[in-house]
Amino acid sequence: MSEQPRYQKAVWVDPSQLDTADKAAENSMSAQEFSLQQITDVVEEPPAAVTTQRLARRKGRWRRVFGVSLTATLIGAVGVELYRLLDWSYTLHPAAGSVVSVLLVVLALSGAVQGWLALKGLRQLRNVERLQTQARELLQHKGQGHAAGLLKSLQAHYKESAARQPLEDAILQLDSAYSDEEVVRFLSRHALTEQDLRARRCVQRYSVESGVLVALSPWASFDMLLVGWRNLRMLREIAAIYGVAPGAAAQWTLLKRVMHNLAFAGLSEVAIDAGSAALGSSLTASLSARAGQGLGAGLFTARTGLQAMRLCRPLPSESHDQNLIKSIAGGIVERLGKSRPID
Amino acid sequence: MGVSKRLKSWMGDVRVDDLRNRLTDLAEQSMDRHLRLAVTGLSQSGKTVFITALVHHLLHAHKSGSLPFFELAANGRVVGTRDLSAESSSPFPLRDAIEGLSQPSPHWPQSTRGLSEVRLAIRYRRAPGLRRVFGDSSTLFLDIIDYPGEWLLDLPMLEQSFEQWCESQRQLFMKEPRRTVAAGWLQKLQRIDWNSPRDDALLQELSREYSTLLQILRRDPHALSLLQPGRCVLPGDMEGSELLQLFPLVLPEPVSSEAPEGSLRWTLQQRYEQYRQQVIRPFYVRYFSRFDRQVVLVDCLKTLNRGEACFNDMKQALSAILQSFNYGRSGFLRRLFSPRIDRVLFASTKADHVTANQHHNLDRFLELIVQDAQRDMGFEGIDTRCMAIASVRATQAAQAHVDGQTLSCLRGLRKDTGEEVALFPGEIPTELPGSEDWTQDRFRFVDFAPHRLPSADLKSSHHIRLDQLLEYMTGDQFQ
Repeated sequence: MSEQPRYQKAVWVDPSQLDTADKAAENSMSAQEFSLQQITDVVEEPPAAVTTQRLARRKGRWRRVFGVSLTATLIGAVGVELYRLLDWSYTLHPAAGSVVSVLLVVLALSGAVQGWLALKGLRQLRNVERLQTQARELLQHKGQGHAAGLLKSLQAHYKESAARQPLEDAILQLDSAYSDEEVVRFLSRHALTEQDLRARRCVQRYSVESGVLVALSPWASFDMLLVGWRNLRMLREIAAIYGVAPGAAAQWTLLKRVMHNLAFAGLSEVAIDAGSAALGSSLTASLSARAGQGLGAGLFTARTGLQAMRLCRPLPSESHDQNLIKSIAGGIVERLGKSRPID
Repeated sequence: MGVSKRLKSWMGDVRVDDLRNRLTDLAEQSMDRHLRLAVTGLSQSGKTVFITALVHHLLHAHKSGSLPFFELAANGRVVGTRDLSAESSSPFPLRDAIEGLSQPSPHWPQSTRGLSEVRLAIRYRRAPGLRRVFGDSSTLFLDIIDYPGEWLLDLPMLEQSFEQWCESQRQLFMKEPRRTVAAGWLQKLQRIDWNSPRDDALLQELSREYSTLLQILRRDPHALSLLQPGRCVLPGDMEGSELLQLFPLVLPEPVSSEAPEGSLRWTLQQRYEQYRQQVIRPFYVRYFSRFDRQVVLVDCLKTLNRGEACFNDMKQALSAILQSFNYGRSGFLRRLFSPRIDRVLFASTKADHVTANQHHNLDRFLELIVQDAQRDMGFEGIDTRCMAIASVRATQAAQAHVDGQTLSCLRGLRKDTGEEVALFPGEIPTELPGSEDWTQDRFRFVDFAPHRLPSADLKSSHHIRLDQLLEYMTGDQFQ
């Protein structure tokens, strides 16, 4: 088999025979052939990120030193003060002393419980995050047989919650022929129906409430507080629905993340919001400026709630939220229309 | 009647029929939502089983949870489904097919020998949104037709002249296994002077031999697909017609000269024209020119089993068929006047005949087979997807422990002997097999008898991905 090559072969030409010899060409290296044994493959190495890492580490170290020293100082100061309080109360009267010591014990116990709850909430939130990344990876994966880990983690996550039964049912219905991607989609669709419904209702309720409250509140400066309070309550409830223990720490982390996501919301969501705003202005034009503010606050709460749902849901959701936002806007306007005394 | 007769005399039968069909469509489509689903597939690719299972699951979609990935059914929005096939002149034999599958010892439906239609009316609750203004519920009419896959191969002949057809056939008959099987017939053709006057007895004899030849090529061990003309393989209601005394003029070199009038060659040419105008064209105009969505069923396993010649033949047949369909975006207005296919799904059937971990490979393999067609459709802006499906499950997933390793395998009843077997059927290649792969007896996929399909209380374990197929094909229509 002598096959004709499909490319132009390199040709050696005597430089003296050239009509116009290029100066630059004389200096440049001529083409050479190498045998395959002579060469080694070029391996592309990623540029090492040494400097930035060291910088980050140094920064982190100083921050940690600061944190540790501050905590140590505070704990020391508070401990000494508490000891002095106890000492002083015993010198005052043994009864006062015993009251103070009982108080201190109760304080320590409740603090420990709070701390444990907070840690548990944080751990569950981290767990949810891990589940989500795992599920996203599986969604990209076309093969089969890697979903067992996710199923086990999901079962562990919902071990003590009411959502366990639907989850178990859905897992029983899984078909042996499903690929990993289909397993995740199936569970996302069928195992969390109940919780999605409850969470949506919760978001709707709180959004309408905060919208109506803001619209009716007599003091403008009070509005922010109202919205913040309703939002925090809503976050706690949504977290509980999706099986995250509602501790203060978890709530705080969740709030931070929600705010972060809202601040960096994608273009699409901004567009949706613009749509809602347009809808709102046309609807509320007949109401009043206060009602418009109420609608804005309600929509803000709704967006917060949807973000929280997205963060607390152990499987990435594929549903469309636009309908919910629309129905919330409609709900607020409807309530305001009803609550308007005379027009 | 008078008007229609006069119109026919002016414009020709086919055009008037075409126009009338268009007008009826127009009236229907402006009132209701209509979806025509083309189920395309070569013979033995599982069209009838597919349609049976699809209709059966849809008829029970309002109460059984057998379609979890079909949003409409999973959300409980199906009010009910009614089978309107009885209105058609040739209804699909749904009852027989389901009875065959739901017996204590179920069997696959008979292969299709004629044309039949299914029409389903699916009544559903609208999703919340603006369309609710038009009423709470709506109806979608779903039309599917079943036909012998052999006839599908006539469609490419619509665009070929007699000479072009003979040339394409000549190239086919130059290759094995056609060359050996047809050697005697080919020699006979060579010996005849084709410019001599018409001799009906000779033509009849040759065409009978050609039909027998096609039957031999169609059966095992050759199992070829690209057999034209399709009505010679399966005449249907044209049994014994003179039009079917037609065969390609496969001569060593193509004849380019004009055929003298009244000669043998001229007669064949005339018959070919008549066959195109009187058989293929009405069939195409009536059923194939007006589809919205298309499912292309391909049985990859059969071809892998039978080796390279069968495989290449199927590939060629598929790409020839796919060129005969109208593809392109179908906007609202364009759909009213000339519907185009805007979504195509390539489904490799019998996904239950391989283990579940091979489904992805089956997808990939099918993609390789249809990649040319898929690329052309992508250029036209059409959604395409490949999916491994099983309309009616015939096997059960199981695990075997061999040499300390766990091997997933299948358990089912063999189709030919009926005994229960368990096997790991091997891996589907993710590249097109080269000529050296074919010789090693590498592929041995067994045909299984179906599991019993109950007449009620269907489960999602009775099929594989039929629900996802439905969602992809019809999901956007239920608004």
